[in-house]
Amino acid sequence: MAASTTTPSGGVLESLSNDLAGAVDRAGQSVVAIHARRRIPASGIHWRPGVIVAAHHTIQRDEEITISLADGSTVPATLAGRDPTTDLAVLKVDEAKVPVASAADDAAIRVGALVLAIGRPGTAVTASLGVISAVGGEWRTWHGGTIDRFVRLDVSIYDGFSGGPLVDAAGRVLGLNTSGLSRGAALTVPAATVNRVVDQLLRSGRVARGYLGLGLQAVRLPTSLVERHSLPNDIGLMVVSTEPGGPGDRAGVLIGDVLVAVEQTPVGDPAELLAFLGGDRIGKQVGLRIVRGGEPVDVSLTVGERPQQARGTRRGR
Amino acid sequence: MITEPLGREMADLASALRRSTVEVRDHGRGAGSGIIWNSDGLIVTNAHVARADRATIVLSDGRTFDGTVTARDPERDLATIAIDCGGASLPSATLGHPTDLRTGDLVVAFGNPLGITGALALGVVHVVESRGGAPRWIRADIRLAPGNSGGPLADARGRVIGVNTLIANGLGVAVPITSVHRFLSDAGRARGGSRHRAA
Repeated sequence: MAASTTTPSGGVLESLSNDLAGAVDRAGQSVVAIHARRRIPASGIHWRPGVIVAAHHTIQRDEEITISLADGSTVPATLAGRDPTTDLAVLKVDEAKVPVASAADDAAIRVGALVLAIGRPGTAVTASLGVISAVGGEWRTWHGGTIDRFVRLDVSIYDGFSGGPLVDAAGRVLGLNTSGLSRGAALTVPAATVNRVVDQLLRSGRVARGYLGLGLQAVRLPTSLVERHSLPNDIGLMVVSTEPGGPGDRAGVLIGDVLVAVEQTPVGDPAELLAFLGGDRIGKQVGLRIVRGGEPVDVSLTVGERPQQARGTRRGR
Repeated sequence: MITEPLGREMADLASALRRSTVEVRDHGRGAGSGIIWNSDGLIVTNAHVARADRATIVLSDGRTFDGTVTARDPERDLATIAIDCGGASLPSATLGHPTDLRTGDLVVAFGNPLGITGALALGVVHVVESRGGAPRWIRADIRLAPGNSGGPLADARGRVIGVNTLIANGLGVAVPITSVHRFLSDAGRARGGSRHRAA
């Protein structure tokens, strides 16, 4: 054999390789395959005994769901609930003889941390390697869900990415990965958010959100109007649709009305309104200040509960 | 600090792989990569890289040889090319064991992606697909491009464990060298057989 050198055994490269494969092996024990869509199974995490968490958008049917475990067994599962706002779903199984995921310390979520995204889109466990590329504070998803921390990844997204865990180099779980919250970018829902949503879904089967039954669009108000009525903001939310029989409709809100304040707080962004409409507002009276035909009108409305989105239908991995 | 030895080992690994990786020029069809399988001048590459009967082989030190395609298996997508190196000993690849690979293991690919000569890529094993207990495909989370075809996928010690063959859904897909061993023994038998018939 001609001279062709290799690194000596016991080198750091080999020990890093062993650490990564060991992390996948450990964490992979609690990663399951969920058969609830066509084509390729989705990934899920055995989060608590008998409780599996998954990405809502990958669970495309509510019944006849089965789960394949790391030990090769396949068991039936029932959907305990889903929260489209955080893209999480919770399933329950009677018996899962595989370990539950071990969570990492929250401090492990740092920019630059070496991480593995683990999946099980079938019988075998899969992995991709990368780093956490950005970390931010609490943020609100497009659908109004609250995520405790913003965690963006520089990790390639393959089949089985969504619903699988993000783990550190020791195999401890930092959160649940999904490509369903930000137009396909790789994000992680941190373990703290998963715990909170799991608690809510196990308790009531859903994460209740307040609901006005109004379609709103931000519009700029003419300066003369703002000055004449001393409005708090030059941006309002115009009503472009009303849900028949919904809270807004029952309170007499009309298409063309411009919402400028809720409970004396100016609203210029639909996201602010979503933030205001937490589950605790359901059934409560709130005062809306509306500009109708150039004149301010005060309307009192009883907040309803947002209807549940049926099932995951968006494409995603 | 492990970053310093890590960088040094990676550089050593890259230079070892560079020596045992060749460029395969399939006249007019662009370039692929190949692996120096033994010091006598046997090159292993993909069948889709060596489409014609002859190919030009360029070593990392610039030496250029005319090669003859001695075996092709389009099913396995493997081919061998023999070069006459005039008795010189070529720097052959060190071979590893694909059966030992685990998901998450570090892997490196070496080759000539998009005409860039001698490019290294780092990744991890995404999954090893087996059939009947034997590895069939090594899928790796690694960035490959056309031109990597026929080049080596190696483990963390620089031992070649696969032949980079295609890109599927963004994953690099390599034929494990266990398949190469079978291909070579099949090809050897076929040659022996034809000699026998010719006699």
